[in-house]
Amino acid sequence: MEISQFQLDALREIGNIGSGHAATALSTLLQRRIEMSVPEVWAVPFEQISNIIGRLDAPQATIYVKVEGEAPGKAVFFFPVESAEIVVQALLGTNESRDMYSDEMAQSALKEVGNILVSSFLIALTQFSGIPLQPSVPALAVDMIGASLDAIFLEEGTLDELVLFIDTQLTGIPEIEGQFIFLPDEGSLKKLLGAMGL
Amino acid sequence: MSGVISVGMADYKTARAPDLLLTAGLGSCIGICIHDPVLKVGGMAHIMLPTANGSLGGNPAKYADTALELLLKEIAGMGTNKSRLRAKMAGGAQMFSFPGRPLVLKIGDRNAEAVEQELKKHGIPLLVADVGGSFGRTIHFDVGTGELRIRTINHGEKVV
Repeated sequence: MEISQFQLDALREIGNIGSGHAATALSTLLQRRIEMSVPEVWAVPFEQISNIIGRLDAPQATIYVKVEGEAPGKAVFFFPVESAEIVVQALLGTNESRDMYSDEMAQSALKEVGNILVSSFLIALTQFSGIPLQPSVPALAVDMIGASLDAIFLEEGTLDELVLFIDTQLTGIPEIEGQFIFLPDEGSLKKLLGAMGL
Repeated sequence: MSGVISVGMADYKTARAPDLLLTAGLGSCIGICIHDPVLKVGGMAHIMLPTANGSLGGNPAKYADTALELLLKEIAGMGTNKSRLRAKMAGGAQMFSFPGRPLVLKIGDRNAEAVEQELKKHGIPLLVADVGGSFGRTIHFDVGTGELRIRTINHGEKVV
């Protein structure tokens, strides 16, 4: 389906509100003031995501949540491994270096953070559309970002060709960046936009 | 000096020695590599799904069956002899698992199976299949020597 600039602008606003929720939750969790903003939103065909995320073999921590409800889809939050490690250290209250590839405690902390971030965006989408969206238990991969994303994209369900890409910036912890992706199942994006009068 | 030609998702490219073909960050997708050791030419396709069956148009380079056909056609146009062609493939991983949830469709496995079948149909021997696991792969294919370099983040690097 096609998506207009007007619809994209509206989605960016929703993204901003979602990131506001996420920032509040993260601030509580990490006991410091975190702010988040959404500078940019894109809707692109999956095959072109490398134009946005750059290197497909860059190591990133990817948290994947299935979205159930009337407008099902998949929601993903990912950040560079170094950023993920900083977040985990803040959460666990330590400066100790953590092996993000194998440390189970670090991974479970990361899933929790991802879960909060993803849920915050889903809550914002629900507020605007009135369509309830429930997240599944999160799954995590710390690996090449292209590999993680292609696996998510191709796993079951027919998907709309478009990927909704919400760039997020966190301030409050230095040098953290992350990105949120919503992959609507076929028809879900139309349903959401329709429910929001867009 | 050799150049490196990058193959994107749902894309295919051909090359002549000494150039290398590269595709980065394969998860459940598969990189199919074909070469003619005599002419020292070859190609690579980065496929995402087993078959174009039932899909409404879209990019034919996305699917194992149609992508291989396109790739072979272009390789044939370089003057190769089909009986000399050799194939290698890598990818087809399962990157995520949800605890307590059975995996109904392992798309990586299905992709690998589809590629194998399509190659058989075309009578092209599959020399190497580095597939499965739960990790991403970046591959470089030397169309002159047929060497396939497979790099991972946490599962080593090898040349097959």
